[in-house]
Amino acid sequence: MGRGPFARGTIGAAVAAVVLALAGMTGSASAATPSTADQQCLGCHGMPGLEKPLADGGSLSLHIPGDSFAQSVHGGLGCTGCHADVNLASHPPAANPISSKRNFSLAMVQVCRTCHSDKFDEWGKSVHAALVREGNPAAPICTSCHSPHTVVKGVAESMDTVPCKACHADIFTAYAASVHGVLRCGGLTQAPLCFSCHGAHGVSVPTAGVGLKNVCLGCHTNALAAHQTWLPNTELHFDVVSCPACHAPQAQRRVDLVLYDSTTQTEAAEPVGVPEFASPTGSPAAARPGLDPATLFTLLRTLNRPGVEDKTSLKGRLDVRTGVEAHQLTPSSAAISDCNTCHRAGAAAFQSVTVSVAGPTGIPKSYGASNEVLNSAFSIYSIGGFYAIGATRITILDALFVLALLAGIGGPLGHLTLRWAFRLYLNRRSHEQRKG
Amino acid sequence: MHRLYIHPLPVRIWHWINAVTCVMLVLTGIQIRYVGLINVVPFRIAVAVHNWLGFVLIANFFVWFFFYLFSNRIKVYLPELDPIKFFRGSMRQAIYYGYGIFKGAPNPFHVSIYRKFNPLQAMTYQIIMLLLLPIQCVTGILLWDLTRFSGAVALVGGVRVVDTVHVLIFIVFVFYIPFHAYLGTLGHTPMAHFKAMFTGYEELEVGESAEGME
Repeated sequence: MGRGPFARGTIGAAVAAVVLALAGMTGSASAATPSTADQQCLGCHGMPGLEKPLADGGSLSLHIPGDSFAQSVHGGLGCTGCHADVNLASHPPAANPISSKRNFSLAMVQVCRTCHSDKFDEWGKSVHAALVREGNPAAPICTSCHSPHTVVKGVAESMDTVPCKACHADIFTAYAASVHGVLRCGGLTQAPLCFSCHGAHGVSVPTAGVGLKNVCLGCHTNALAAHQTWLPNTELHFDVVSCPACHAPQAQRRVDLVLYDSTTQTEAAEPVGVPEFASPTGSPAAARPGLDPATLFTLLRTLNRPGVEDKTSLKGRLDVRTGVEAHQLTPSSAAISDCNTCHRAGAAAFQSVTVSVAGPTGIPKSYGASNEVLNSAFSIYSIGGFYAIGATRITILDALFVLALLAGIGGPLGHLTLRWAFRLYLNRRSHEQRKG
Repeated sequence: MHRLYIHPLPVRIWHWINAVTCVMLVLTGIQIRYVGLINVVPFRIAVAVHNWLGFVLIANFFVWFFFYLFSNRIKVYLPELDPIKFFRGSMRQAIYYGYGIFKGAPNPFHVSIYRKFNPLQAMTYQIIMLLLLPIQCVTGILLWDLTRFSGAVALVGGVRVVDTVHVLIFIVFVFYIPFHAYLGTLGHTPMAHFKAMFTGYEELEVGESAEGME
């Protein structure tokens, strides 16, 4: 994590917090009721409606529900466990300006780090932290998911209280109706909840490559063997088709062509100076008609021009279009197993094509592409590694096939007809000659 | 009419297995490539049958290969090294097929035990048996298990390169197979060459090659 928004004046406070926390712990009579020291704080902070006006015009609630705090996992620490910087002699301070609730929270998460350094480090590598670094005001920090004064164990493990749904409500709704959600709701604790697949703190970008597939296989350990009994080229299917593409049969599918750096073996960043990847609006996929086969070919040729060491390629992947659809998983009996769904010309899954690059936060940025990129002769070079029999066949080869079929049948038929006609003519002529 | 033993048993076995598997591979290939447009056999079954037939074709190829490699009959496949002789023979045969045959002119080529292919035939078979069929078998094996052979597939430029080569050769076979069958009817009777491919004996008009004649 960078020092930026968090570091100001918090390290000292954090160290003091640990010292005072120990003091607070010895002073607490019971974890279920506030300690004497805490009751002193709650004298004021226990009053509902106590709040502090902020510089941005908002307000910060200063009300702490005493009993809930005492019963929380932090109750034993006491108020000073985290608020060691508060000097009772001069509290409340005459002037303690807080610019905004967000900035206050960003500063306070360093206190969480004091005890939860492992979780904090995990979070630091997550997409959430990347969004915070990018300045996204809605990106979650510790207190966004764990209300510090009321946090109890197991909150994230219950469908009723899991904090993810606060931001990802539409995805959670899809999950709750899915086979996973229904089983979890029915009491099967082995059924996954958000953190089971995405991790609790080191939340990764779920659409990044085969990461999520490996997560699925973490529980469904016999999936590969089960698919191998009926699915040709099973491992290849597993590599290029995301699990929800078949196991969320109602979802709309798309082909995502990921710009891939063959040297680092990671998703490549946005090419610089390429007009097709200029995205001033931030929504290029919607704003542009899409990359056509020739443009994509030229782009790859340019990226791999002689002298460039890092070779770039496009890795194709069949996926569902949205995160919501990725969670609409059904029992395996309802999954798509009909090959014709994908392996035919005009299959719906191949009508929507995107080209993705690694965004600065790790979240892929997608650009629309014409579905012709999959059927063009240019694709032999542009997307040489992605091919679905029937669906992405090269159109010009179909024309050649028809031509060969016509010539193969028509040639002999024509020759036969000519032989017959000549024989007829020669017979007639010799007959006439004999008569003459 | 004379009889000349020009198709030994291993060649006849190889030929008919090759013929059936090639036709079946083309048909299942069409079903696989054009599923949705053609729905005679379910895709999955077509793929399984295509794969099995592919291995039969490969095994059968080695029957042909080793038979000719270890027999003096290999002479029938040896190329004509004199380009003028080859060109003249080819032109003579092409003129016969394109013109002479209509007038009822005799076939300029006379079969013998060690020279059973006319120059055009010999060239075609050399290209098919030593170039196209091996490439088709190799690309077929790569496509059969892309994960197992991912290194080789990447080396040649990816699955699309492999598939395009496989399809182009398939297209050549789509063109060639009907022609081959039709040219087989151009013996002294329409069924003469077909019969020979079952019995091993080619029937020759009086005056044709006497080498090895019965």
